[in-house]
Formats: sequence, C-alpha cells, structure tokens
Amino acid sequence: MHIVEAEIREPLILGHKSYNDITEDVCRPIESRANSLWYMLFGLASILALWGLGNILYTVGVGIGVWGLNKTVGWAWDITNFVWWVGIGHAGTLISAVLLLFRQRWRMAINRSAEAMTIFAVMMAALFPGIHMGRIWQAYWVLPLPNQFGSLWPNFNSPLLWDVFAISTYFSVSLGFWYVGLIPDFATVRDRATTKLYKVIFGTLSFGWSGSAKHWNRFEEISLVLAGLATPLVFSVHSIVSMDFATSVIPGWHTTIFPPYFVAGAIFSGFAMVLTLMIIMRKVFHFEDYLTMKHIEYMNIVVMLTGSMVGVAYLTELFISWYSGVEYEGYAFMNRATGPYSWAYWSMMTCNVISPQLFWFKKFRRNLVLTFILSIVVNIGMWFERFVIIVTSLHRDFLTSSWTMFHPTYVDIGVYFGTIGIFFVLFLLYARSFPVLALNELKTILRATGEHGVKGSKAHHDHKEGH
Amino acid sequence: MGNTIYALYNDDHVVYEGAKKLVKKGVKIKDVFSPFPIHGIDPIIGVRKTRLAICAFIYGLTGMSLAILGMWYFMIEDWPMNIGGKPNYTLLQNLPAFVPVIFEITVLCTAHGMILTYFLRNETLPGMKAKNPDPRTTDDMFAVEIELDHQPLTEEELVAYLKETGAVEINKRY
Amino acid sequence: MATNKTYWKGIEELEKNPNFVNNSKNEFSELLPVDEFLNKEEVKTEGTNRRDFLKFLGFSVTAATLAACEAPVTRSIPFLNKPDNLTPGIPNYFASTYYDGFDYASILVKTREGRPIFIDGNKNSTYTKGSANARINSSVLGLYDSKRAKGPAKKVKGSWAKNISWSEVINPITKDLKSVASRQGNIVILSNTIISPSSKEVVNNFIASYSALGAKVKHVTYDAISASGILDANNEVFGVRALPKYSFEKAKVIVSFGADFLGTWLDSVAYTKDYASTRKPENGWMSKHYQFESLLSLTGSNADVRGALKPSDLNNAVAYVYSKVSGDSVSASVPANVKAKLDKAIQDLSANKGSSLVVSGSNDKNIQVLVAAINNALNNYGSTLDLNQPVYTRQGNDAEFVALTKEMNGGKVDAILIIDSNPVYTSPASLKFTEGLAKVDLKVYFGDRLDETGILCDYLTPNHHYLESWNDFNPAKGIYSLQQPTIPKLFNTQQWQEVVSELAGQTINYAEFVEANFKATVLNSSSKADWNAALQVGNISNAISSSSVVANFGSALSTAKSKFKFQSGKFELELYTKVGLGNGNQALNPWLHELPDPISKMTYDNYVTMAASDAMEVLGVEDTSDNRRDYLYIGQDYPAKVVKLTVGDVSYELPLVAQPGQAKGTIGVALGYGRKGTELFTRKEWLGDLFDTENNNNNTIGKNVFSVANVSNTISNIVNSNVSVELVSGKSYPMATTQTHHTMMGRKLVNETTLSQYISQRGTAKEHGGYNEQLMILDSYGVPNKPNELDLWAEHPIELVHRWGLSIDLNSCIGCGACVTACHLENNVPAVGKDEVRRSREMHWMRIDRYYSSVKAEKDYHDLNGRQDYLDAEVSADEPTVAFQPVMCQHCNHAPCETVCPVAATTHSDEGLNQMTYNRCVGTRYCANNCPYKVRRFNWFQYDSLNIPAFPDFAKVNAAQDDLGRMVLNPDVVVRSRGVMEKCSMCVQRIQAGKLDAKKKGEKVQDGAIQTACSSACPTNAISFGDLNDPQHAINKEKEQERAYFLLEEVGAQPNVYYQTKVRHI
Repeated sequence: MHIVEAEIREPLILGHKSYNDITEDVCRPIESRANSLWYMLFGLASILALWGLGNILYTVGVGIGVWGLNKTVGWAWDITNFVWWVGIGHAGTLISAVLLLFRQRWRMAINRSAEAMTIFAVMMAALFPGIHMGRIWQAYWVLPLPNQFGSLWPNFNSPLLWDVFAISTYFSVSLGFWYVGLIPDFATVRDRATTKLYKVIFGTLSFGWSGSAKHWNRFEEISLVLAGLATPLVFSVHSIVSMDFATSVIPGWHTTIFPPYFVAGAIFSGFAMVLTLMIIMRKVFHFEDYLTMKHIEYMNIVVMLTGSMVGVAYLTELFISWYSGVEYEGYAFMNRATGPYSWAYWSMMTCNVISPQLFWFKKFRRNLVLTFILSIVVNIGMWFERFVIIVTSLHRDFLTSSWTMFHPTYVDIGVYFGTIGIFFVLFLLYARSFPVLALNELKTILRATGEHGVKGSKAHHDHKEGH
Repeated sequence: MGNTIYALYNDDHVVYEGAKKLVKKGVKIKDVFSPFPIHGIDPIIGVRKTRLAICAFIYGLTGMSLAILGMWYFMIEDWPMNIGGKPNYTLLQNLPAFVPVIFEITVLCTAHGMILTYFLRNETLPGMKAKNPDPRTTDDMFAVEIELDHQPLTEEELVAYLKETGAVEINKRY
Repeated sequence: MATNKTYWKGIEELEKNPNFVNNSKNEFSELLPVDEFLNKEEVKTEGTNRRDFLKFLGFSVTAATLAACEAPVTRSIPFLNKPDNLTPGIPNYFASTYYDGFDYASILVKTREGRPIFIDGNKNSTYTKGSANARINSSVLGLYDSKRAKGPAKKVKGSWAKNISWSEVINPITKDLKSVASRQGNIVILSNTIISPSSKEVVNNFIASYSALGAKVKHVTYDAISASGILDANNEVFGVRALPKYSFEKAKVIVSFGADFLGTWLDSVAYTKDYASTRKPENGWMSKHYQFESLLSLTGSNADVRGALKPSDLNNAVAYVYSKVSGDSVSASVPANVKAKLDKAIQDLSANKGSSLVVSGSNDKNIQVLVAAINNALNNYGSTLDLNQPVYTRQGNDAEFVALTKEMNGGKVDAILIIDSNPVYTSPASLKFTEGLAKVDLKVYFGDRLDETGILCDYLTPNHHYLESWNDFNPAKGIYSLQQPTIPKLFNTQQWQEVVSELAGQTINYAEFVEANFKATVLNSSSKADWNAALQVGNISNAISSSSVVANFGSALSTAKSKFKFQSGKFELELYTKVGLGNGNQALNPWLHELPDPISKMTYDNYVTMAASDAMEVLGVEDTSDNRRDYLYIGQDYPAKVVKLTVGDVSYELPLVAQPGQAKGTIGVALGYGRKGTELFTRKEWLGDLFDTENNNNNTIGKNVFSVANVSNTISNIVNSNVSVELVSGKSYPMATTQTHHTMMGRKLVNETTLSQYISQRGTAKEHGGYNEQLMILDSYGVPNKPNELDLWAEHPIELVHRWGLSIDLNSCIGCGACVTACHLENNVPAVGKDEVRRSREMHWMRIDRYYSSVKAEKDYHDLNGRQDYLDAEVSADEPTVAFQPVMCQHCNHAPCETVCPVAATTHSDEGLNQMTYNRCVGTRYCANNCPYKVRRFNWFQYDSLNIPAFPDFAKVNAAQDDLGRMVLNPDVVVRSRGVMEKCSMCVQRIQAGKLDAKKKGEKVQDGAIQTACSSACPTNAISFGDLNDPQHAINKEKEQERAYFLLEEVGAQPNVYYQTKVRHI
C-alpha cells in the first residue's frame, strides 16, 4: 500500500538517493570546512552575544535599577523575554513528540534541529528568571534544599516555583530525548571518522552504539514512551508559565483562558522560529532535498492554525472583560486597545492574527521569501503579545494613584538582543558539529517517501512500517 | 566456542527476506546490525519485545509518591506557615496548589529513570566499545550475525546459502 | 566626616616604649610558647622526628588560623564609665522645643545610645497639644549634617580662616565693637523672632552694656515669612502687637481668605489638631469650612466650600464680607462665580456669631484690619480668637527692617550681629540688603554655616543645633516650654546667647542662666526639683491675669476701607510656602525635598503653577480636555515645559505645572528654594535644559523667589503688577512626581459622603443605596458573603493573641505628610534623589494619595461608556474637590503577595502582620506586581553604599552614606540590602517593644501604649493603631463605625487596615 501512497503523496526526500547518499549529505557539514556564509552569521551572532553578556554583567554588578522598571511595573522586558523564549522552545519537542505519536513522517527532516532549537531557546529562557532576581547569588534558594538557615523550604504555592520545576523538567527531558535520538547518528559519524580526534570524540558521544536488533528494538520503544511523556510536558510547561499571570489578582492577568491561549501562542511562535532556522539551514547547507517545500507548507499550515487560535483568544479576552462588568477588567482591556500602549497592542494584532491569514493561499504557503519574512514577523508579534500582557496590565491597575509608564533603558534592550546572539551562536555551533538531520529516521522513510525509493535497491515494495 | 560469521547485505529488504529463509532452514541468527531499525525483523530472529515501558511506569509511580510526600513534609509537616491564608494544616486542602509540581516531578523521574535504564540495558554508556562487526553497518550495510556451533548446516552450506539469500560479503571471526 | 583616628594596641605604643616598638616589627611581638615541647629531652637527643613534625605542623596551622581570626577595627568606642539611665538598646526620651522662627512645637525627642533619632509632638503642651509636622520631625537630620560649620571662622583678606579658636574671633569682635561704641556708632542686632525670655534678657544686657559705652544699639526683628500685616493691625486696633490665640476647636464656621492654617500659616502646628476636632461627624456636627484663595493650598483642599479668586479679588472679597457682616458700606465688587459662595459664607457667619472664625493669609495691614473688624462684628473675640492671650511666635517688624536697610545703605550702621536669620537670601531685592551689608564695617553671623548671608560677613560664630541647645520659650502669654540638649555638641560650636553675653563682657553658662531665669520668672521657686519637673514635662502653663483688650478701630478702619484694594494685573503672582520646605531653613534636608508636595505631588523643585486654561494659553494650544491631557501631563519621560516668568526687571526660567483649583490669572511660585548648597545635590539629569554648565552655583534645587517680594506697607508675598509669563520654546525640564495620575476614574477608592447624608443614613449606611454600601459576593452555593469573610478553606485562627490593625479616618486626614516623613525616619527608608523619584522609584513605605475630581467627577464607573469617557475621566476639573488617602501595607489576611513568593520570604504572622523577611528575599518582585495597593518597594540599588558615576545621587541624598549622617539611622530597623523587597511593617519593632513593656508590667497591651510612627506623627489623629482582638482598644469601636470600609474590598485580600469614609459638610 505504500507504493500507492508514494504516488499520491508528495515525496519528502527529493532526488534519487541511496542510504549512503543520506549519510554523505548529512555528515558533510561536520566533516568539511564551513562556508563563508556560516562564518558571517557566526561573527554577527557572537558580537550580539558579547554585547548581551556585557549588559548582563552590568545588571548583576550594579542592580536591577539599571533596567527601566519602577514601583508599579516590576516586570517588563525581563519576563517578556522569558515567556517569549519559552514559547519558542515549544516547537521542538512538540514536533518530535506529538508528530511522532501521530506518525507524521515529515517531522523526521526537522525534528533534530527543532529539538536543538528548543534546548537553546529554553536555555535563554531560563537565563531571565535568573538575572531578573534582585539577588541572583541566592537563586539556589528556590530549590528545596534544607539550607544553613535551618529547615527553610520554598513556597510550593508560588507559580514562580512551579515554573522552576516545569522549566527544569522540560529542559532536561528534552535534552535526554534529543540525545537518545542522536546516539545512532553519532555512531554513524564515528564509524566514518578518518581522524583520530573524531574517532575519540564521536566514539565517546555515541556511547558505543552498535545498532543491533535489540538496540533498535529498545530505541523505538523509548522514543515512543518519551514522546508520550514529552507531549503532556509540552502542554504543562506553558500552562504553568501562564499561571504566573493567571493566578494573580491583577486585571488583565487574572484570566482563566491563559493556559490554552499561551500554549497555542507557544506553538505558534515555536513553529515560526523553526521556519526561520530551517530556511537559513536549507540555504547554508543545501538541504533542499530534505527540507522540501512540502515541509515548509506543512509548518505554514500549523502557523496559520495556531495564529488563528491566538486571535480567537484575544477576542475572547476582550469580550469577557466587557461581559464580566468588572470595572478594573473592563478598563484594563480598554486601556490595552486604546491607552498609551495601544501601539504595542495593535502591532501584536497585526503580526499575530492578521499576517498568518495569508497562509490560507497555497501560493503564499509555498513561497520561501514570504514564509521567511512572516516567520520573523510572527515572532515580533509574539514578543509584543507578552509585552502587552505584562506591561499594560501592570502599569495601570487598581489604584489610579500608582499608575505609571514603563520606559526601557539601553540595558533592557542590550540584554534582550544579547540572548538572541547567544542563541544563534549555540545553534550555529550545533549546526557545524552535529548531524542536523535524523539520519537513521530519514533512512527508515527513504523507501516509502523518497522520490525514487532507495537507489540501488532491488526491492520494489516496502515493508509494513510500524503501525 | 565463538566461531561467528557475519553476512553483510546492502539492502534492508534483502536482509529481511534472507533472515526469514535462514530461520525457516532452522539457522539460529544471533543478531542483526543495521543503520536503522528494520521493521518486523525482531520476531523473526527472536528478539522479544522490551519491557522498558513497564520500568517507566514504575519510575513514574515512585516519582509521584516522592513528590506528594515531599509536598506534605515541606509545606505541612516540617515548617507550616500561613501563606496568604492558604491552608497549611492539611495536605488535602492545599493539594491543588501542589499539582503542577507533583506532575513535573513525576515526568522528571519517569523520563530520566527510563533513559538511564535504556543506557544500562543497551550497555551504551560514554566511552563504551562499539560491538558492530563492520563500520559500514551504521551507514548502509546490514550484518547478520550467526554462531557456527549447533547449527543445522555446516559452515560451507551456510556460507553458500547466505550467498543465495543475497549477502554481498561474508566475514568469519574465530 | 574625616576618620583619621588612630587606635593604640596599648599604653606602650602610645608611649612609644622602645622595646615594644622593636618587637612590633616582628611577626609575633612576643615569643610563642613552643618551648614546652621543643625542650623535651628526646627532641634534643633524637632531633625532630615525624611526630614532632606533625606537632609543629599542627601548631603552625592553628597559629596561622588564629592570626587570621583578628576582628576588623570598628568605629565604635565603648563608654569609659557608662552614664546612668543609659542602657544600650533602650531609648531615652527628652522633652524639648522646636522653634526656628517659622514653626513652633513642644516636642519629645527619642534618643538611642545618646543619639537623637526620632521626634514626636509633646502631648503635655497646652499650645501645640502634641502636634508636629513634617518639617519638625525631619529636622533631626539637620543635626547630623556634616556640612554644618565645624567651628568659628573669620574672613582674612577675603578668604575664610577656619579651624581657629573661639578667642580668635571673640577678641577682635569685642575690640571692634568697643571701637564702634567709642565713636558713638550704631550697633544693630538683627534676628528673627525671639520668643525666649532668657535670650531676650541676653540681648537686652548686650544693648545695655554697649549703650553704656556710648553706642547706639538696637534690636531689629525680622521674619523671613512676615506677619507684620496682622501684627501692625492688632497694634493699631487693640494696642497689642501680637497674634491672637486662635481656637479653631470652638469654631462652627471657618472662613479663610488665603490663610493656609493647616499647612504653613503662623502656628499651623497648633491649629491642625483643634481644626480636626471639629471634623468628627460622630459628634453629630462638623464645622463648616469656607476657603477663598488664589492657589490650591493644603487648607483649601480640605475645605467644604472653596472659591478660587485672584489676589486682587480676594481683597475685594474680604471687604465684601466686611460690608455685609458689619452693614458698613464698602464698594467691593466680587466675581459672579464666587459671589454665591461668599453670600452663603456670610449667611453662615452671621448665623454663628461668637462661634465663627475669619482668618486671612494676607500680610497687608489694611486687609487684616478688615478681618479684625469682621471678627469683631461677629463677636468672635474672646471665643474663637483672643488677644487677651496674645501669641508671640511672630514679632517681625517689616517697617523697622525696611528702615534698617535704608540706614545700612546710607552707611549709618557700623556693626551688625545677625542671629538665626538669613536676610541676604530672604529679603526682597528692592531693599538692597546685600548692598547695604557691604557698607557695614563689622558683620558677625550667628548661623550654622557660611550660607548666603554668612559668606558676606566678617565673622562666623556658629550656633548649636537646637538639639544641642538650652533654651526657654514663651510662645503665648502664660505658656512656657523648655529646650534641652539631647546630645553633646558635635562640632566646636557655641550657643549664640553665650557668645553675645561674652561680647557684652559677661561670661555666662547659658544652661544655668536659663535655669535661674526660668525659676525666677516662671516657676517662682528656687527648688531644683521644680526645675527638673518642668524640664521633664517640658511645658509650664501659668494662669494669665485677665486683662481685656479693647478694640478701637477708628482711623485704622477708615484707612483700611479706602486702601484695601490692589490694582489687578493680567497675571498676579503669589509666592507661597510649601509644606515640605517652609521658609527654606531646611533646604539642605533631602527628606523634605523627597516628601512630595501634598497638592501637586511634585518633589525636589519649585515651579510656576497656573490654572490649566492659563497654562494652555501660555503653551499656545487650543484648550480642550484632550489637549490638556496630552500637553499638561508630567511623568518620567514627559518633562515639564519651561516658561520665563518676568517680575518687573527680574526674570526666572522655571518649569510650568498646571494646578487644578488655582484661580485663573494667578501664578504661584514656592518660596524656600534656590538655597546655596543645594547645587551640591543636582546634576544635568536633574535640571535638564536649565542646567548651567558654566557656573554650578546656579544649579540649585529650584529658584529663589524671595527677592521679588513686594514691599508696600509691609513685605508682601503678593506681586500684582508687571508680571508676565511666556513659553521658552525648545526647553524642557524633568520633574519628579510621585503621582502621575490624578483622578479616581470613577472607582470607589476614597469613599465620600455629605454630612446631611451621613446623618440621614444613620443605621442604613451599609445597606443598599447607602453611602457606604456593603459589597456582597455570592459563594458557590449562592449565599451572599462579605468579601472579607468569604474563604475557600477553613480560615486560619485569628483570635490567637493580638490582631494588629490600623484605622484611617479620611475625614481627619488633611494630607500634610507628617506621617510620611515620620515613617521615613523610623524605618530608615532611603532617600533616592530626584532622578530616581522621576522614575517612580521613591521608597516611601507609606504615601498619601491625592485625588482630584475629574471633569467627569459626578459620574461613577458604570456611567463611563467608551473611550472618550475614560479619557475625559483622566482630566482633573478646573475647581476640583480634593481627597487625601494615606496608603501603606494593608497587611491583608489573604495577601496576594504572600502566595506568589517562591521562597516564602513574605508570610503572615499570627498577629495579622504581613511580614517581609529581607534576608530570605531573592528579589523576584512578583509580590510587588501582585499587590493591589502597590505599597511594596524594591531596593533597585545598594542605596547605602552605591556611588558610581552612573548613579552618583545616593551618596548625596542618602544619610546612610555619610559617616555622620548614618547616626540618624534607627538601630531597631535593619538597613535593607540591594535586591530585596521592603514595605510597611506596621512598625513591628515598636510592637515588639510595646509587648515586652506590657509583659514586664505584667498587664495586657494597653490601648495607645503602642503607636506606629505614622499614627504618633499624625497631628490630627487620623491614623489610629490597635489590637483588633482586644475590645479595650479604641480601634474596635472605629472598625464598627458605619463609615468604616476596606480599600478594594472586592479583591478579597481581607486587609487589616480600615478606612473611614470622608464626610463633607455641604
């Protein structure tokens, strides 16, 4: 039946490839020298990263006062960036876990890098709850350690503490999941390695994987179970992040629809970021055969869908704030849409709700340039979403006497762009030294979804793939 | 003991068919090395379904009970405090606030417990020696491992038969 | 303060004992006790074996460790012999008196380990009755001002010689004075009002002794903020040159013409309490307070009926009221918009003859004569105001001062002694005091530093700070109070009384002098016991002989009737004094600069205030409510526009602030700013485009406008001719305000009602439709609940021991801000400087929210439909009603801040306190975000030590960064580190002390035994503190009052702070 499938479905791997070709294509970036484009991007990213690190050190050295915060607006860019990065960090695990459960084969070309992106994004996210603390050197107090002050435990009622657990769990589990998948591919690189150094490095990294039938048997099992675990995890993480706001009393935060709305938003921004990176990688490493327009189109569909979900959430908020008849709620949203920060609100609306609607048209879905631009636009919009939620709710809350405005300082800005720099530094390094496509998985689907099946194979029909 | 031959194939489909034939002949196949999972070959060569999932369940259970115990000890038993009027005298009433953390700890224990078991069971740990007979088996070759002792066929017959099933190369290791 | 102290290891070092000096070069100055095991036999025989090696090793390690344990040298010096009744950790209280020529108050000074750290009103005083204000309780910081003169100084060839002995100044001065006397020259003592009998004695002795030597000596009294008008008036009419004793508590109707008697007018400290006692609706009546004024004053903002009038119209209004009350015909036309209010006032006045009071802030003799005539016609003399008990706190005589300046310019003055007065700063430029001073041969300055006047004199003979001084005071006939040192003098200063006596050739010990004098004239007894008793309570009031002054208006009235008119100009300038800075005596006190102006909520500046419509005209923008909102908004990155204010030939560039409630055509500028020395605080970020890069002396905080004051028959703060204002385009000025939004947006924050409603709704106020309707919330079973009782879980037990709570009477609160500074003082709250306040980062634990009614004031939230309504609701009305609301931590029982703290740094105590554990805080600021009342304050920086080019302010404004200034810190309260959250603790240190006290006495905590800083500082007792679990405590009655409500009750935070509805008498 797969032959039939291969006819009606658009191939996910183009060109007439043998298993060896896949190995060659994927290992080329690792084994050959980087091209100038890579160096250019890397240079750019490192400059940003250094600038950011400088600003972070300044903040830690002098005090949070170097940011633009004030007595009324206690969080602004710091937590905005945090939520933004966590959101971005959702796509990876979602793609590799949820799509695995749904047996979506098109995930295989992107999941490896998507997960890498997740891990780096979550690193950036985790940075902010750290540096936003007034006394970061006491940050370990949020862990349940009996400390020198006697048995002082953290407060498990606090959503911020839930965050600590959610983020660390999410990070470490994603990391494990990712690495388990990497091992067989490391083995491939190891066995091809010509230099001593590579043999040692990848020998260690591949944990002595031999690819015996038993290994593969367990491999598939753990992939499945971890996917099963990661799926609720993905949803829990952003739900919990949203509870930072939802469980508070501040009008504009105190909203029950936050969990689903945040998760949708997270997938939205995550996929957008994956698209951005994929399109770059496709160009830099010439992966056109593996990251086909089909992949781009699938992701654009997800973007459009989640974008619309977010849109619905925005409208629901507005409606409920009016319908509830609570004066503070009512004002909070009136103020969002028409107050001094309305420019942020409307740029959010345009970027997140209106722009993705373009993807209703196949022409646009399959247009690389447009996709690339929109993927960035979407992430700008999602940053504004968090800014709007955090700042416009805080700056005008219950007592009108305390109303203020928030004005960022250059440090706020520096730290934010700095993390983008660090993120790209990490990702580019990864792209040079890791098998960026899941070799073994691609090989399993080559026969079924390759344009011309497997080069040099006499077999002309595929075997039942696990159902 | 330990005379083993490795039949190398260059096509997952051929391996699959070959393995079938061999088993039909009563040949005991010790193992198959492949660059990616060959679906459906496990039952043929007699690899039983792994019980990793069961461990996972146990780890999860442990994690959850640990978490609940911890919540009770930290917040109720050891150092109860009046935090925003929340009930600090009974776990049950305060439980809703603890659900997120309990869930996360459960997942944490399950996932990491499982990954660890997986590594141990596979005997894949940092710096371990790889056991695959030929480097190409992680690229595009598929190796069938057969021990010569107690086989229905003699070595010669076996080699000949393996060739028949489409092996492109046969190595013997004493 | 330089700290080049040296510490001796011992007497040997001090004596430079030779072998000690040698030894001290060695690492161990004495031989180490290693012999007992080195001398053992086997050591000698076997040499060092392994075990010995280990011994040595062990020993050397231990020795090294011990050597490393040496404690760092601290600056604390133990008492050689401890003074009795001084126990470390236990505060001592001393009754004393504050008088600086502007404020008088009998005070109670709290000292810890010999350091004055807190100032309260002294309840034993029959005059100020325990009131104090922000200026007075902040004055303690002045004691620890390291910029005070450290000793006498004299000018040698134009430059100042400091670090000289007293004899080096006193001898030459005496010599010069003698020579002046020998040639029958003029000697003048220029001082501000002296109400101390002993000091007067000293002055008189001086005059006597030098007159004897042939000199013409006179004493001129000059007040920076003059009251000559009313004094002269009383002098002409009643023959008594003094203030009447006002009894606001007896007044049923109060009409004030621009007299800010709750803020800065005369003895406001004494008036506030009396006034507040007439504002308690529980008594079934309330005084009716009419205020007619040009600027919106603190008093005006508390008035029941308020009319805004230009100064010239204000005079007409006085005359109008006079004519109506007395029936005497005076032609005075008043603007139509206030005529109705005036007529109502007249009606009420005539209806309450003998129990009404009319006051005027004008310093024009004629107006004051009219006012006296009005009160006379209403038979108020003897009841609500009384000259039989004259008040002496203002004696300045402008006429004499004007005459003096003429003589000085005429070169007729040979020597001048200037005491507690700064005329170069405060006198109008037109009098040319400065020029005149240059013509005086001998100029001696008795101030506390080389300020504007001091720098121009020849000698500086620095005076004690009042907390180091002895003195006696006689504020009003029959009322006496004492001043005693609460700390030994910090610098080489001397009380001016002693110096002046010494100049007069008699060396006295002023302490003994005062004692003797006081015993003789006041106590009429020579017993030490009586003196000590008097000293302990600090106050004596003697029965006064009942002389009765007779009013004789005659000619005074007729001149008044003809001369009361001011010519009116397009713009009329009124110079006013701010609650924070007063007359500028304490302009170097950062706390008072950081105390927001009660009305404008601006800090660290004086500025031009104008009616919004005038402001829009100056800006040249069409006057619509939208434009007002956009163009007049002042906030962090919305600086004020700069205007050029021209008065005659002087002009100032000042920021423009639109002031709701200000009379159209009036300009207000505050006095007391632009003091020399304040330029040390400022920098470019503070002054924006007005920063002077050439001459830093011009970069003072605010500008000095004393110099444009108007000299007519008196020195008047009203300038009504050739005043003009124009916009300086392209310049802007950053303003630091603590409140950028001024209306309640139709929310029930300050609950208000009228007296009639209050009375008619007795018993039903909390029911539906009542002025204080009880909000109900349906629980999940549909049962209505008070939000304060609705709970998801079984409630935590609250009847354990205590349940501390506050009740704040919004009707008594006049918004003066005394509580804010008191809290500042008690809790070591850091001052952060203008730039940080501009960023809304002031650290005040408690604030006073000030709300104006908006152009949509009559509407409540549910009538606000759509965007435009909301936008209009943001714009203050032109003549708004004003409401004040002190807000501190509400100590919620379901505190939103507690649940969200990840490290449980803020938790709830069994006594109902919301505790903040500083050393557990990691600074996530989640609690502050989740606080509906926004009372939590975050330490953005290490305020007590951070001093880097990017943030230089803290080193200047924060006392904790100055070695001497640090002495003001309250040792009971920790100084918070950077990165932690802080907030009102309900003065938990005082609560603990109070509980301990009660425990030692073996009784329950008595009502009033514990006072928070704010409640003890409140001059009107608007804030009361108590135990909600103890029925004996008054707060339990107050919380049951129908006026009681919770702020934002619907949030369900269940606060422990009650507010009492504001009742207006309209």
